Amino acid sequence: MPDNNIPIIKRGVRSAAPRILSPELRNETSRAFLSIKNQMVAEFLGHPITVEIMAGPDAPNISGTLGGRGNLFSFIGFEEGDDPIKPILDLLYSSFVQFNGITPTGIVSSVFIPTADEIFNETPMPWATGRSWTFGIERGISGLGWYLNQSGAGRSGGGLQASQQIAAAKFKNTQYISALLNKYTKLFQSL
Amino acid sequence: MREQFQHSLITSFSLWFDHYLLDKGDAYYNTTGTFHPATDARLTSHNIFASPYKQFVSDSSITGANICSGAYVTGVFKGRSDGVIVDFENGRILSTGIASGSAMTGSFAVKDFNIYFVNETEEDLIVENKYTPTSDFPSANAAITPYDMTVPAIFISSETMQNDPFAFGGQDKTRTLVKAVIMSDDVYKLDGVLSIFSDARNEAFKILPFISHPINEYGDIKSPPYNYTSLADASGNGLFYIDRVFASKLSDKSKKLLPNNVFIGFLDFDIYTHRFPRL
Repeated sequence: MPDNNIPIIKRGVRSAAPRILSPELRNETSRAFLSIKNQMVAEFLGHPITVEIMAGPDAPNISGTLGGRGNLFSFIGFEEGDDPIKPILDLLYSSFVQFNGITPTGIVSSVFIPTADEIFNETPMPWATGRSWTFGIERGISGLGWYLNQSGAGRSGGGLQASQQIAAAKFKNTQYISALLNKYTKLFQSL
Repeated sequence: MREQFQHSLITSFSLWFDHYLLDKGDAYYNTTGTFHPATDARLTSHNIFASPYKQFVSDSSITGANICSGAYVTGVFKGRSDGVIVDFENGRILSTGIASGSAMTGSFAVKDFNIYFVNETEEDLIVENKYTPTSDFPSANAAITPYDMTVPAIFISSETMQNDPFAFGGQDKTRTLVKAVIMSDDVYKLDGVLSIFSDARNEAFKILPFISHPINEYGDIKSPPYNYTSLADASGNGLFYIDRVFASKLSDKSKKLLPNNVFIGFLDFDIYTHRFPRL
């Protein structure tokens, strides 16, 4: 369960009795929450890193992280058929809003979204499970996964075809999960 | 070039790392042995006596470690006052006054892991298969070639650095990723290192200037004795903070793809400090 608790106090009409208005406030908050959550998921799915990894071992390096050479799926060392994006998507989808009570001025609710650390923990490198490939996207990844793939006769399928390209590639760090969550934490706080 | 932030980080981290491993893990053993006559093309002016081990413990704040201060030549102790130089980095004794064929013995504390600061990528370190632990290490009757990096070892490298605005007045939060590749001859020691440093999350260590590094060009202590705790205590209030540590092992499946029989682990340190880089 996501544990990034963002407390929100939704103010009702100051002079009105909040108890009467609370169902309406709850619905309004839920709608706003869902809208931002969907926006967050859509932005994640549209991120060039996500798009490139979802496209698998034959994708071009649209994220530009490898200088246009090879692709991230093979560089990180995933095996053909792996779905590295699913755990992140599951965590983002599990975000929820919880209503905590009514105050004289409105309703109190909390939004729970995953933390960056939770996502890092759920996204292990295929060759070293204590390491996170999402953290690596932000702070640097070695080409070891690709070299190991080469030793294993190209587990990711695209590894061998793109071998010369990736061997020369130098990974460029890119903002990914942390920036996304920072942005949407602020948006949820504005609910 | 004048000393820069990166130089200070490397000095501070490597000294802290060495001390932390020896202190928390007792990752050394005291032993005695013979120093064999050896040669070194870089040091033709000295007579060389090399042990069959690599790095000796030089930090006297490590309780119980036998810090080498000299050696016995035909039963007579010869120390620094006799012109003896202890090369802690290569496990050797250097001297201009002791005849090259002399029988030399000594007692010293040997590190479980040699520690090296390197500029090589992980794939260069691991895939190129340069480091293979020899089955008869330490060799009973031979010196190890000087300057060779020898496994079991930990290879530290500074990867990326990033400044983010932190406070008015130009203060930045500087984040640095420091990576360590551990190559061990057995899985017990590898697990020990990973466990010790996994617990280093939220630790802080002192910022030490580059010039405070205790080892000189011969591998000996500049001003004996070297004591990390005293050095850190005397070095002002600046700190590096370890925000996160990721510890992991190369998976068995991947390990089988490598030709040598080395157990490999990784430590990724996310280190913060607050500074005024433009002042």
